Amino acid sequence: MIHAQALTKRYGAKTAVDDIDFTVRPGLVTGFLGPNGAGKSTTMRMIVGLDRPTHGGVTVNGRKYAEHRAPLHEVGALLDAKAIHTGRSAYNHLLAMGATHGIGKARVNEVIGMTGLESVAGKRVGGFSLGMGQRLGIAAALLGDPATLILDEPVNGLDPEGVMWVRRLARSLAAEGRTIFLSSHLMSEMALTADHLIVLGRGRIIADAPVADILAGSTRTAVRLRSPRAEQLAQLLAGPQVSISTTEQGLLTVTGLTAEVIGDTAAGAGIPLHELTPVGASLEEAYMDLTQDDVEYHAGTTTPEGALR
Amino acid sequence: MSAAVYTNLSTSGLSAAGVIRSEWIKLRTVRSTIWAFAIVVAVSVGIAVLMASTGFFGDEPLPAEAQTSIVLQASTFGVYFGQLVMAVLGVLVISGEYGTGMIRSTLTAVPKRIPALAAKAIVLFLSSFVVGAIAILASYLVAAPILAVQDIAATVDGAFIGNLLLAALYLALTSVFALGVGTVLRSSAGGIAAALGIVLLLPIIVSAIAGFSGAQWAMDVSPYLFSNAGSGMYTGGSLEQWQFTLIVAAWTALSLGAGTLLLKRRDA
Repeated sequence: MIHAQALTKRYGAKTAVDDIDFTVRPGLVTGFLGPNGAGKSTTMRMIVGLDRPTHGGVTVNGRKYAEHRAPLHEVGALLDAKAIHTGRSAYNHLLAMGATHGIGKARVNEVIGMTGLESVAGKRVGGFSLGMGQRLGIAAALLGDPATLILDEPVNGLDPEGVMWVRRLARSLAAEGRTIFLSSHLMSEMALTADHLIVLGRGRIIADAPVADILAGSTRTAVRLRSPRAEQLAQLLAGPQVSISTTEQGLLTVTGLTAEVIGDTAAGAGIPLHELTPVGASLEEAYMDLTQDDVEYHAGTTTPEGALR
Repeated sequence: MSAAVYTNLSTSGLSAAGVIRSEWIKLRTVRSTIWAFAIVVAVSVGIAVLMASTGFFGDEPLPAEAQTSIVLQASTFGVYFGQLVMAVLGVLVISGEYGTGMIRSTLTAVPKRIPALAAKAIVLFLSSFVVGAIAILASYLVAAPILAVQDIAATVDGAFIGNLLLAALYLALTSVFALGVGTVLRSSAGGIAAALGIVLLLPIIVSAIAGFSGAQWAMDVSPYLFSNAGSGMYTGGSLEQWQFTLIVAAWTALSLGAGTLLLKRRDA
């Protein structure tokens, strides 16, 4: 359980995180979505006490992260795949991290096995690919068998097999009742992995809802139809709230009307339909809707540079 | 929605001993440490051999006190070079973490931060002291038989051994002083430049001013400079040896104190 209250971070005149409140609940994968510079990483760093909030605060399982007796057992964090000394081997890195909490060789070997790093564990981290560095970061996060996992862009640099692995890992850890909080810029990835989404734009929360609700709330829910008399039907359907596009002869994509209305209209005019399919908006489209609104809304009230560092 | 809430039931937790063990693992698992320590020993022994075998001390027998002083000089001459290596190592111990991002892992594991720096200082101090002592004792052991050929021998008493150990203590304090500098500056290049500037350059500049203009303040301030006080620790000089030791300790406390304060306050 992560609980943020009035969490704010300013760097000079720029506000990276602007007075946000949110709760990340156990047993779910919560996705943290937002454009680059929206404040996701800053928020995650504040959760584990690397950055000090300008105002407000954030607790993990009821306490500030630093006040836990065994921080690594509470939270495992992958904040930056490069947070590892390049001159040390993966095994020694994990051994040193674990030693702080009395975590020994057995567990180090266990997380090396879980992340598939056996063959490179003895090699210096400087020679690692982005994907291997990412796996090592995840291994370090798992070291304390934590109740809460914070993963900043965990699939960055992973191959498709690695992406699948992270997805399964996140889902299975959540199923054990752990709190999983992961950020990603891959919205399609979020649709597959997350149960709940917190969408951040310019340091503010634009949406905090189950993934299904965010998809349903999109204004871009469209209907695809195929008809030999498509042009005639398009004229009948046209209206101020309706947009119609066509990509090939006889195929229309209509937004702003439900499939029922379109079907009834066609039947009333005696126009045959060969296909009538509601097309769910992709999370990506829903997300673009959300962030676009946010940008427009804030255009007059923030500095031209925005809330970026 | 799952009703289960996972709780980690392990009884282990963050401990001072654990943080010290972690820093010890970190120190010994990077090449720069191994290189630095090997160089300190090798150069110290090499210089001792050179000093002992090239020195000519006259045909007349020297008083015991002068003989002891010659042996001490030959055994500790490598400290002038060793201090530079220790200063570089001390900076790298922390700046290497800032440079690679490792510091974020360190401070996530030890979120109260100060125990991590304290553990670094303890581990660095002890290992530098042991390596410094090995280097200086080894230097004595190779220099002594060479000097014996010219009938030069130290009176090995408590004071003599104490001086050798004070030289090792100076090397250890140098590395911790540099750790503080590295913590303040957070960069290898800047930290090494600053630490070497204070250890190496500052005494040269001050003595150049004193020699050039004869400024009294420059002469007065000279024994209080880090490395001047450092050599005073084991050779003596215008102040007592314990006073020189306190001066070096004060420099070290100042730099480590500033580092601690900034580490606690700054975002990592």
